[in-house]
Amino acid sequence: MSEVEILAGARPIREVNEAIRSAVARGDDVVVKDTRSRHNLAIGLGAGARVRLEGSVGYYCGGLNCGARVEIQRNAGWAVGEAMSDGEIVVNGYAGMSAGTSMLGGLLHIRGDAGPRCGVAMKGGDIIVEGKIGYLSGFMAHAGRIVALGGAGDACADSLWGGEVWLGASPKSLGVDTREIEPSADEVSSVEALLESRGLRRPEVDWRKIVSAQRLWHFQSRDAQAWLMI
Amino acid sequence: MADDLTEYEFPFPPATEDSIAMRDGAAANRPAGVPESYDQGKSARWSPKAIADVHAMSQLGRYQLRGFNTFSTRMPTFDDLVFVPASMTRLPLEGYRESCETETVLGDRPGLVSNPIRLAIPIYVASMSFGALSANAKAALGYGASKAGTMTCTGEGGMLEDEREASNLLVYQITPSRYMLDLEHLRMADGIELVMGQGAKPGTGGVLLGMKVSERVARMRSLPLGVDQRSTVRHPDFLGADDLQVKIEELREATGYKIPIFAKIGATRPRYDVAIAAKAGADVVVVDGTEGGTGASPEMLLDHTGIPTMSAVRAAREALDECGKSGEVSLVIAGGIRSGVDAAKALALGADAIMIGTAALMALGCNSPRYFEDYEALGTSPGRCHHCHTGRCPVGITTQEPELEERLDVAGAAERVARFLTAMTMEITLLAKSCGKSSVHNLEVEDLRALSLEASAFTGVSLAGIDRPFTW
Ligand SMILES: Cc1cc2nc3c(=O)[nH]c(=O)nc-3n(C[C@H](O)[C@H](O)[C@H](O)COP(=O)(O)O)c2cc1C
Ligand code: SF4
Repeated sequence: MSEVEILAGARPIREVNEAIRSAVARGDDVVVKDTRSRHNLAIGLGAGARVRLEGSVGYYCGGLNCGARVEIQRNAGWAVGEAMSDGEIVVNGYAGMSAGTSMLGGLLHIRGDAGPRCGVAMKGGDIIVEGKIGYLSGFMAHAGRIVALGGAGDACADSLWGGEVWLGASPKSLGVDTREIEPSADEVSSVEALLESRGLRRPEVDWRKIVSAQRLWHFQSRDAQAWLMI
Repeated sequence: MADDLTEYEFPFPPATEDSIAMRDGAAANRPAGVPESYDQGKSARWSPKAIADVHAMSQLGRYQLRGFNTFSTRMPTFDDLVFVPASMTRLPLEGYRESCETETVLGDRPGLVSNPIRLAIPIYVASMSFGALSANAKAALGYGASKAGTMTCTGEGGMLEDEREASNLLVYQITPSRYMLDLEHLRMADGIELVMGQGAKPGTGGVLLGMKVSERVARMRSLPLGVDQRSTVRHPDFLGADDLQVKIEELREATGYKIPIFAKIGATRPRYDVAIAAKAGADVVVVDGTEGGTGASPEMLLDHTGIPTMSAVRAAREALDECGKSGEVSLVIAGGIRSGVDAAKALALGADAIMIGTAALMALGCNSPRYFEDYEALGTSPGRCHHCHTGRCPVGITTQEPELEERLDVAGAAERVARFLTAMTMEITLLAKSCGKSSVHNLEVEDLRALSLEASAFTGVSLAGIDRPFTW
């Protein structure tokens, strides 16, 4: 197994991704250079793929990932790791809006801050943000965990169906239909174990765990009979 | 002078009230000759429906919500248009003998789409989610469409194995809620549809009431069992046209530039929305008019949002013409299509293909005269039912209750769907041949005349007789 360098630059993105895929198919590790914040890099890679992007990337980097390890050396644009079902994506800088949109599994690790709507419509997996998550993060998420060490912006965890948002610092405000609950010792150790697996130790944190208050699960008048009358 | 005061006195004793009364009023103490509207209560504003709406809302404390489609009587219909077949100026083809091409290719864009969708007929079955529909209904639609040489679409709730197995060609929908969206399913699809809206409720997300969020539905959508699912309308990871362009590229990268990307919009501002979708790179633009069907929608949205299908078609086609995308980007039209006749008119107005939802459900057996007592329990009867939102569909189509679903016999229903699609196609080809067209795609605006000023004004079709479109 060797490491292959691929230049993004101004090349058509289709060509760059094809080069990544064929290197991955040969079993090579990939380093993408001169990324120029290009959109749609490293889409839909599978287990065994290892890609390091040396620079910043644009939208949807690592989107639909199903097992690859993708590392972004600097910042990521919108929806990094969207709909990922497995694998690991690391953003060493900041992530833009909607990081981890509707992801189903795997791990998204952002070392800086994440923009608004981080983990929107999330269905599973874990998002770790060492900094802060922006407003409306976790909006209508179904399942999974968002762990933000630096706290959150406005309307945190708004309209959750399910899932959990863990905050290591206060949010600016909580979203509608949220409930802050005291985490059990087991739950705290599970989050700590997750962080430790990423080389993060935060024993001093006073965790705030936010879940759905479940009031929006149903129309207020939810008697099925009432719907039959029209 | 004040209204009710008069100084004048007759030179004889004043009449008694008794001698003034005409004595033929409805009630002894009511004067005769009151306007008819007093008796019949015909207020144009406060119709019995308007009154009932207030009563319902004041008890329920929310808007009404239901399935089916708009009950508005204000919509223009395709019935306002007629074909003007060939006679002297044009030559008809033999309706019962000569052939007429029906093949319809969607997303034929070499270099961008290596496997465009080839349909044997210009009609396919619209996206109706598993959840809104039962698994049996999905399977029957799939088999029926396959037999007729056409396709189905998944809908909001993810890809159902039963449907993938049944449908030779299946378009996979990506809705804003992203239920069960992953790479594996994207790669199993023959096309991908990004939903920006639908005709029944443009600008508002999907609804699935708790009665239908069964164990299987909940699992596929990652939802808690039995919740009243109200979905988002804005996509979580793109907002405007520029982002949509990047999103489409992402989907192409994920699927190897093999399959076409559809963009579905509710008809509101088709002239602009269609142009934007086409420019953003969609291979197929689907425009769903306000008559479009639904499994469940807030009722007032059905009647008061969006524009009629008939008026959207021309605007959509002109938009593609204006931005030079006709021929490159396909235009699919849906919303209220009941027959091959409606479909032929939509093709003539500029559609490349027609999508049917409600009509396909009727072929499955929606509103068929059986199980009367169950219709009655819903407060309705065959021919009037619009209760898809309740999950208690008497004929097993829009339900998740096993004992109701069993009533839908997949084999029989699939055959009916296939026959209906075939019959619709025969209607289209018969009309096309009478207009002298050897392909259904050669039907054109010139083959139509409008019977009403309204239809002419909406579509630009020439008025019957005078042969000029209505202009201002
Ligand atoms: C029961 C039912 C469920 C539907 N579910 C969806 C859906 O999940 N996603 C979507 O984009 N449209 C959905 N639609 C709308 C159809 O895709 C289509 O736009 C519409 O039915 C066309 O109008 P028609 O029913 O008059 O043919 C649904 C329609 C019906 C009747
Ligand atoms: S018969 Fe079933 S599918 Fe048809 S309108 Fe009634 S509930 Fe809906």
